[in-house]
Amino acid sequence: MADLATFPRLLHDRAQRFKARPAMREKYLGIWQTWTWSEVDVQVRTFAYGLAALGFKRGDRLLIVGDNRPRLYWGMSAAQCLGGIPVPTYQDAVASEVSYVVEHAGISFVLVENQEQADKMLEVREDYPGLLHIIYDDDRGMREYDEPGVISLESVMSSGLELQQRDTDFIANEINVGKGEDTAIMLYTSGTTGKPKGVVLTHDNLMFSAKACVEIDSLDENDSVLAYLPMAWVGDNVFSFAQSIWCGYCVCCPEGPETVHTDMREIGPTYYFAPPRVFEGLLTNVTIRMEDAAPIKRKMFHYFMGVAKQVGVRLLDGEPVSVADRLKYSIGNILVYAPLKDALGMGRIRTAYTAGEAIGPELFQFYRSIGVNLKQVYGQTEATVYVTVQPNGQVRADTVGVPVPGVQLKIDDSGEVLYRGAGVFHSYYKNPESTADTKDEDGWVSTGDAGFMTDDGHLRIIDRVKDVSKFVSGKLFAPKYIENKLKFFSHVKEAVVFGAGREQAMAFIDMDMEAAGNWAERNNIAYSSFQELAANAQVYQMVKESIEQVNKGLIDDPLMSHSQIHRFLILPKQLDADDGELTRTLKVRRAHIADKYASLIEALYSGDSSSFIELEVKFEDGRSGSVSGTLAIEDAQVFASRASTDKVA
Amino acid sequence: MAAQNAQAVPALDAPIMEVKNITLRFGGVTAIQDISFDIREGEVRAIIGPNGAGKSSMLNVINGFYHPQEGELWFRGQRRLDARPHEVAKQGVARTFQNIALFKGMSTLDNIMSGRLNKMSSNILAQAIWWGPAREEERRHRESVEKVIDFLEIQHIRKTPVGRLPYGLQKRVELGRALAAEPKMLLLDEPMAGMNVEEKEDMSRFILDVNSEFGTTIVLIEHDMGVVMDISDRVVVLDYGKKIGDGDPDAVRNDQAVIDAYLGVSHD
Amino acid sequence: MSADFLYTVEIILNGLMAGVMYALVALGFVLIYKASGIFNYAQGVMALFAAMTLVGIQSGQVPFAHLINAIFGTEVHHFGWTVPAVFAIILTLGVMVLFAIVVERYVLKHLVNQEPIILFMATIGLAYFMEGFGDLMWGADIKTLDVGIPSGASVWLEQATMGWAGEDSGFYGFYIDKLDMVAALVAIVLVITLTLFSQYTKTGRALRAVADDHQAALSVGISLRTIWVIVWSIAGFVALVAGVMWGSKSGVQFSLSLIALKALPVLMLGGFTSIPGAIVGGLIIGVGEKLFEFWIGPMIGGATENWFAYMLALLFLVFRPQGLFGEKIIERV
Repeated sequence: MADLATFPRLLHDRAQRFKARPAMREKYLGIWQTWTWSEVDVQVRTFAYGLAALGFKRGDRLLIVGDNRPRLYWGMSAAQCLGGIPVPTYQDAVASEVSYVVEHAGISFVLVENQEQADKMLEVREDYPGLLHIIYDDDRGMREYDEPGVISLESVMSSGLELQQRDTDFIANEINVGKGEDTAIMLYTSGTTGKPKGVVLTHDNLMFSAKACVEIDSLDENDSVLAYLPMAWVGDNVFSFAQSIWCGYCVCCPEGPETVHTDMREIGPTYYFAPPRVFEGLLTNVTIRMEDAAPIKRKMFHYFMGVAKQVGVRLLDGEPVSVADRLKYSIGNILVYAPLKDALGMGRIRTAYTAGEAIGPELFQFYRSIGVNLKQVYGQTEATVYVTVQPNGQVRADTVGVPVPGVQLKIDDSGEVLYRGAGVFHSYYKNPESTADTKDEDGWVSTGDAGFMTDDGHLRIIDRVKDVSKFVSGKLFAPKYIENKLKFFSHVKEAVVFGAGREQAMAFIDMDMEAAGNWAERNNIAYSSFQELAANAQVYQMVKESIEQVNKGLIDDPLMSHSQIHRFLILPKQLDADDGELTRTLKVRRAHIADKYASLIEALYSGDSSSFIELEVKFEDGRSGSVSGTLAIEDAQVFASRASTDKVA
Repeated sequence: MAAQNAQAVPALDAPIMEVKNITLRFGGVTAIQDISFDIREGEVRAIIGPNGAGKSSMLNVINGFYHPQEGELWFRGQRRLDARPHEVAKQGVARTFQNIALFKGMSTLDNIMSGRLNKMSSNILAQAIWWGPAREEERRHRESVEKVIDFLEIQHIRKTPVGRLPYGLQKRVELGRALAAEPKMLLLDEPMAGMNVEEKEDMSRFILDVNSEFGTTIVLIEHDMGVVMDISDRVVVLDYGKKIGDGDPDAVRNDQAVIDAYLGVSHD
Repeated sequence: MSADFLYTVEIILNGLMAGVMYALVALGFVLIYKASGIFNYAQGVMALFAAMTLVGIQSGQVPFAHLINAIFGTEVHHFGWTVPAVFAIILTLGVMVLFAIVVERYVLKHLVNQEPIILFMATIGLAYFMEGFGDLMWGADIKTLDVGIPSGASVWLEQATMGWAGEDSGFYGFYIDKLDMVAALVAIVLVITLTLFSQYTKTGRALRAVADDHQAALSVGISLRTIWVIVWSIAGFVALVAGVMWGSKSGVQFSLSLIALKALPVLMLGGFTSIPGAIVGGLIIGVGEKLFEFWIGPMIGGATENWFAYMLALLFLVFRPQGLFGEKIIERV
């Protein structure tokens, strides 16, 4: 085929080129099963025939719900072969959330991973009878389902084989009809506010992202990734689908969400992506393990982490380092860094990316210092991921890099970052107003982020435009900046800082149960529930010290010194996506939290030393309960700004 | 998965076990008095009753831990004389315990593997030199253990020593070990004791899945009436060692004797 | 190399060899303790009994000769033949298995679910019974045991290392008994075999299961009684090995049963539940008491070997009661 404008064509081409090289792996029954590129090509075609046999036509949408499974990725390709549009959606979304997508996208075909998802779709079907076909992958527990249209992937495949025998050229012809400007995929953004929007991405868009970083990171068929982030997220579509097909590297699907870490150690991916949260969680684990380790081991760890801090990053950036330091670093590598990277499953990583949220500089440098080439990428679903990326050697904690080739950037008068380029989305599905709001006639897309360009052409993001606000005094208040500093402490899972239109900044702290629990165990603090631990006076003291440390750090920055936290409280429950406090991508929903906990915020500002609260909590099974109690509120020490003391002196 | 393990579900009427006029005494105390009931092939059969009603004793009789002084046990059409627990296990009866009896020092994998001991050939010589057939056998056992692990969704704790696992997961591993034996009849002693709502629902789902996927007959003792009524086909009610009710959940729920027994004793 | 250094090395080597002998005895204790939670006081007597039986069979002695002669007025003592060592060992092994079956049938079976102290008392009874029974069967006289294990100094080693410390140092090469070397070799093979057996065979798995939890073991279809017979048979086998080694070294006599006492400190060091612990514990005590005698002994009048092991064990009881390798008992709240 001459032109590889669409992914089905590209896949077929790659199957010819890479043949018996591994395309996908999946751990099943404790063993890694492998499919080669030729096998994947065959499976996808059979699947496409099967879909066609069910009546799936050009322009139809295939909803895909489940953990990362090879068959679900094949489903995406199969739908694309027929000119259809895969719509992967978040697997942990509840029926009411999926219901919106099904109705909005007019879905009549859905591919689900297992019984749990099938049940969810049957529930959706009660309100939306147009959902005709439910195809399931794992047949466990599905034996007794006799609802119409519930069909196993196996039987779809076998009817596909039958159809293929009758009409051998059908799929090839269908693939030939496809064009680059056709819709390749639709992704519903979880959205921090309002209803989710269906971002329409074309093959051209995806193709742009498939190639965007291949040169920068010299990716090829020898790489491998672990597909563990939600398929509904644009990043997974680029890393585990588009780039994989373009480069021919292997995509590995873990056994399940809980085994990701073990599976990662076994696979040792060379190319890796994780939101800051994951990197943070891993570091927390390391820290906990080290605090529990024997004194000698602990001392060795701290000593060599000190060495790494001094020279590790410089080594990675190719800067000159003295021979003695090099020697120390290589001893450290043998004794600490290499085993540590191996334990983290990062022993083979050549390129790792993080994005989605600002990453704490200490956290960022920790990974770089032990030799993990962690970089930042700044992107959006609407950009098919890439806006800016950090090229090797130009990696910094406080910027997100330079524009990806083919992308233009500008900052408007309000400080908002805008971009345009080949990756820019087609539209929001059935939502021309939002499309027009976000993308102007010239193709410039508003990011909603406030930022500026540094002198050397790097983009630095401050915060969301709508979140950056002002204190009563008119001074800048950027809550995320402070929250990120707080989140670097292993016992702080999440922090929410308030201050817009107020005189001072106040904070809610969401404890990290695992880290705090371990800490409690080491310090012989008995507790029976999260709530009890969160209310513990010693825990409060520990958090107080952390906050004061952050306050101290803020005085160095003249823009931020007035944002020091004056008072805080520890939330009696974890912030949870099921309670609407986090988005499905686990970002804090500030407005919702401010609304829900309004009484607590008032108590923080009124100077009370405690506040009573009763909370509705949704359990995973959908039932609700309530948590109530009296929360302590504590003051934190605030430090005089160095800038002002200088003036006095 | 596990399609090859599924058995054609036989006629529901055929009893896999008949308990006939069992009386069990410990010294002067009568734990079970003249109790009869049957367990049909492929059903979920619950034994309920207040504390001290004799439920656990009944299970231990079926399991072979206790030998009744009077009465008969018929298993798969044959009268079972006083059999010892390991013999009962070999006949295809697996069980779990109220207080979890796992091999705490072993991993999840090894624990579940131990459930297959009865299925292993004991050719020590071949095993000692780890040769062809022995190796093939090991692989086969490992595969069926992996299927159990997949079934119970405990892949993430495969290599974890079970002593370190939280209670709910230990219960699941114990169920896994019982399943690994591919039992005809599975005895569950308070499988949901001490669990929270979510864990209880998970466990109920696994029990029902075992029942429908493998056609395993399930006998369970449970304290939580709600759960029992949801998942069992028929219920036997015991009180002070006597049978006071027997039938489908709805019938039992509305039975006056049962209501009295439950109201007459305090439950916490 | 200085002579002093070489002497120290020699002492350590001899200590290691002695340690292997202790470890052999301790191993028998660990096996039974792990599988059934019983501290088998009779382990030492089992070694004595095994050694006596071996000598008896090998030399063609008539069992219960005294008894027979006393009752029937006959004068039989020997069959008049001798049995080759290999066959004698196999026959003795058979006797030990028979013994295991008898112990299970007539002792353990009736004591299921009893307190450990009661089981311990039962093994004390067993020890006295076996001692008397052994005397009755084979006579109480001191016997020499020779199954063909070489003994005496290893001339080869002595010559090979002679002169390492220089001509006039007075160091004539390492002096190590060949019997000790054989014992070390046998111990290594024994431990490897036991480990492989417990890791990879069905019976081994069952053994580990029983050691972990009796009730759970029953429920997966393991017969406790069968396992007990197997465990006591293995312990009998280990006793036989220990008996052969010690018997070859110092003759088969009543004092052989007292080596059990030497195993106690080894167990306290290594932990009652760990096979590697028994080995390492034995080696530490072997080396420790030899070095202590060499360095500290002269200052305090010598004969420290009699009590050094117990003192060390005492220290361990204070600072690390579970032993080096024993299972630490952690209760999570």
